[in-house]
Amino acid sequence: MTNEKEFIAQLLNPKTQNTAFQALLSEYQKPLYSHIRNIVLNHDDADDVLQNTFVKVFQYLKNFKGESKLFSWMYRIATNEALTFLSQKAKLNGLTSEALQNKTIDNLRADTYFDGDEIQIKLQRAIVTLPEKQQLVFKMKYFEELKYEEISEILGTSVGALKASYHHAVKKIELFVTSN
Amino acid sequence: MKAFKLENEPKIKSGFKTPDHYFDGFSAKVLQQISEREVKVIPIYKRKEVIAMLAAAVVVVALMIPVVNSYNKTKELDEATLETYLSYQSNINQYDLIRELDTKDIEEINKNVVLEQETLEDVLSSNPNIENLISE
Repeated sequence: MTNEKEFIAQLLNPKTQNTAFQALLSEYQKPLYSHIRNIVLNHDDADDVLQNTFVKVFQYLKNFKGESKLFSWMYRIATNEALTFLSQKAKLNGLTSEALQNKTIDNLRADTYFDGDEIQIKLQRAIVTLPEKQQLVFKMKYFEELKYEEISEILGTSVGALKASYHHAVKKIELFVTSN
Repeated sequence: MKAFKLENEPKIKSGFKTPDHYFDGFSAKVLQQISEREVKVIPIYKRKEVIAMLAAAVVVVALMIPVVNSYNKTKELDEATLETYLSYQSNINQYDLIRELDTKDIEEINKNVVLEQETLEDVLSSNPNIENLISE
């Protein structure tokens, strides 16, 4: 993307807003979709959360201070939206977040928009056993292949702490897959 | 069983797919949602009709205050007025009242009239018609 300040100015100017927002959508819809889908697991939920994310991005653009990059700011909104969505859904169904995720994984086999075999399902089951922050770090590093520096900006955690978190996550996952 | 090592395995993909052409129509969907929400968000205090309705409601309530007050006044009877009326204005005598009492009322009256011995003696000694009372 061209100069970010210039682009934000275009997003805020009513004359150029629509074109700029379209550009923002086409650049970020796929990576943000993957990010959200990795958290909520199911396509319909990911679709809802992604729409809400972009609506919020549009609404809060005028408050965007430019202290962080547009990229990490949007990822933060998407992460918060997805996590809030999950906890609300769990509450609605009277389940814990982990129980809800396990149930969603059970349904993955029948999901038209999931193309995975046993190892993928086992990996997802292993991820669910991790604490929330480790889940996020693992998914962002392993599936989305984001750089530690980028994850650090999004989650507001130091690169060192993220590396440790990822290392722990990998160890626990390997242990889970070996023994199950 | 051989220990599973993530780095020794070929990269495991998440396996998540999207419906065909999902992203083609996505931006239109978002823009539609944004315009819908913008139409919906009209601050209530900016709507002339709402202000007019609120003003009308306040006027109606204000007009009702004297009516409600006088209505209450005419309906309420205090105990003193009732007593005065019964003793001086009506034809009701002791026997009429007695006839209206049922067993429950009499039981309640008995409960209330708990006289202390002393009071009873005082009344009896100061009453000149003590013999009449005893015979009754």
